[in-house]
Amino acid sequence: MDFISSLLGNLALGMSVALSLKNVALCFVGCMIGTLVGVLPGVGPIATITMLLPITFGIDPIGALIMLAGIYYGAQYGGSTTAILVNIPGEATSVVTTLDGHQMAKQGRAGVALGIAAIGSFIAGCVSTVIIAALATPLTSMALLFGPADYFSLMVLGLMFAVVLARGSVAKAVAIILVGILLSTVGTDLESGEERLTFGWTEISDGLDVAVIAMGMFGFAEILRNLEITQARDVVHAAIGNLLPNRKDFKDSAAPIARGTFLGALLGLLPGNGAVLGPFASYTLEKKLAKDPSRFGRGAIEGVAGPESANNAGAQTAFIPLLTLGIPPNAVMALMVGAMTIHGIVPGPQIMTKQPNLFWGMIASMWIGNLMLLVINLPLIGLWVRFLKVPYRLMFPSIILLCCIGIYSVNNSPTDVVMTAGFGLFGYALIKYGFEPAPLLLAFVLGRLMEEKLRQALVISRGSFWTFVDRPLSGGLLALSLVLVIIAILPSIRKGREEVFADAD
Amino acid sequence: MRGEADTRGPVKSPLDFAGGLFLLAIAVLGFGGAFNLPTGTLSGIGSGLLPKTLAVLVGAFGVLLMVQGLLFEGDRLERWHLRGPVFVLGAVLVFALLIRGSTVNFGGVLGIPLLASVKLPGLGLIVAGPLSVIISSFADKDTKLGEIAVFSILMTVLCGLLFKEMLSLPIPFDPAGLIPAPVDDAYVGMKSAIGHALAGFKNLLPR
Repeated sequence: MDFISSLLGNLALGMSVALSLKNVALCFVGCMIGTLVGVLPGVGPIATITMLLPITFGIDPIGALIMLAGIYYGAQYGGSTTAILVNIPGEATSVVTTLDGHQMAKQGRAGVALGIAAIGSFIAGCVSTVIIAALATPLTSMALLFGPADYFSLMVLGLMFAVVLARGSVAKAVAIILVGILLSTVGTDLESGEERLTFGWTEISDGLDVAVIAMGMFGFAEILRNLEITQARDVVHAAIGNLLPNRKDFKDSAAPIARGTFLGALLGLLPGNGAVLGPFASYTLEKKLAKDPSRFGRGAIEGVAGPESANNAGAQTAFIPLLTLGIPPNAVMALMVGAMTIHGIVPGPQIMTKQPNLFWGMIASMWIGNLMLLVINLPLIGLWVRFLKVPYRLMFPSIILLCCIGIYSVNNSPTDVVMTAGFGLFGYALIKYGFEPAPLLLAFVLGRLMEEKLRQALVISRGSFWTFVDRPLSGGLLALSLVLVIIAILPSIRKGREEVFADAD
Repeated sequence: MRGEADTRGPVKSPLDFAGGLFLLAIAVLGFGGAFNLPTGTLSGIGSGLLPKTLAVLVGAFGVLLMVQGLLFEGDRLERWHLRGPVFVLGAVLVFALLIRGSTVNFGGVLGIPLLASVKLPGLGLIVAGPLSVIISSFADKDTKLGEIAVFSILMTVLCGLLFKEMLSLPIPFDPAGLIPAPVDDAYVGMKSAIGHALAGFKNLLPR
């Protein structure tokens, strides 16, 4: 009972912070922008958060993080709208929704599909907010038991997960993570003060900026890629119809929503972007459990309700590793680390003890944000459909201008803008050579922390590498990483992996 | 790289082979940049240990991919398009050069002597904005010049209002004074009128 009462006390504190007029407004702005970028294919949360970082400079850290978080989970809501109406995933996580969602739309049930997606997402969002709140305290106290060696091994595990979950060749995924860590060593070495990999260029002696890399690889390179694919936009012209699902729809969806929420929340906790797996896992599970699996792909409501709940639950529980351990589990969270650093917050277990307002305020804002998203998405659906009609030939130059202004404003530096263009080209090359860019960003952010912990651990152990194996926690995490690598290389699993991602293409 | 998209020759998977080559280039660059740094000992790691180790590993994966590309059938290389990168990245560079004005040095890094230096005036968002929108729009062949010209000015004004007026970011808007004085005066007058109106409205609200 003590646990429950302290949980309720903490949530009450969070509500008091999140319900201030200013924070509610920021949460609303974040959710609106998030929905917009979710709806628009080709604009992702990574580029958007980078673009909007400078806007948050004038806001206090709590408000800034509430808004940025809103963009992230708002995008998950918006992504389903595009998936259902246009048959293009607005976000990577709504790929599965295109399968049955668009079929429902073709059958004149677009409104019901949108409705159940929003309702499922809302339920998932509420449940995972409670999960975050409940897990935060025990995980934070666990984090305090972590020594440098354990932290290092945990990050290795996270990166190995990213390898397993990346599509395409395992060797390429590992290599791109190594490149990400290599990039993180650019700049002045904190211990010796020596310049590393700067080639005498003073502009990068402070290291590369995560915003520059993110914007180049996810803003510009993404545009370059989109310009080369001509996507047929299969917009549903029929009326959207009734938004509220009927009694039978609710009965069919209740269990998938519950299972999807649980699966998504669990996978979202995993380091290395487990959240992307949620919708796939949920879809597969529903298809297996269904009495008549042949309905799937032909407009089964379970195929929308489950995955949509899973992706929203995963998007929210992905905050747990960041907030409790200080370790970002995916590229968006890696960017949140950058945002926190700009605002002078060090992510990690100390946030909860030292800045309970920030911690619980952010969690409470997620619940408020989910409620807002329900309102933003359902009655305003006509507005978002209109945005879908903006042609790409006008959209991408606008994105480029906004990116330029955003990246310039981070440090008021034209050099940053030039470097971003460079990373745009780098990202384009990566795509052309078949590398996936997201793990690089994660590795880049983890790289600095890994080097720091590696050094600390080796100083403590007086130069013995055995410390990583001897410590039970660290040893266990490394063993798990090894298992993951073996699994990734095993041919049978590789085949399964390809099947999962084949749906995505 | 363009030639490889068409011919296979002895390389069975051009995609993997080229990817490996790309990694190898990164590795060489990384190792070169850390060449003079001390590796230190295990109990006191030097600044060079991690970059060098990583560079070697990246290089090893590069070689692995190249060998894989020679031995196993795989995907062809995707063609590199010039139009997109040239116009999109060109637009970004134009923005960077004009927004605050900058001195462009040719040479002066990596041991190359300074060959030439060009000083560009700071023209601010009023010029850099429309230019970057228009230049980047050429990356798409569907672009209509009239439409994009109007759109670029509209976007620039909107961005000016949003970032400069509402969020007061220190981005230069019109440092060279290119906006004609009457327009400027009219804007300032309108702004103060709105300000007064808002202040009046605030006074009406109960405290």
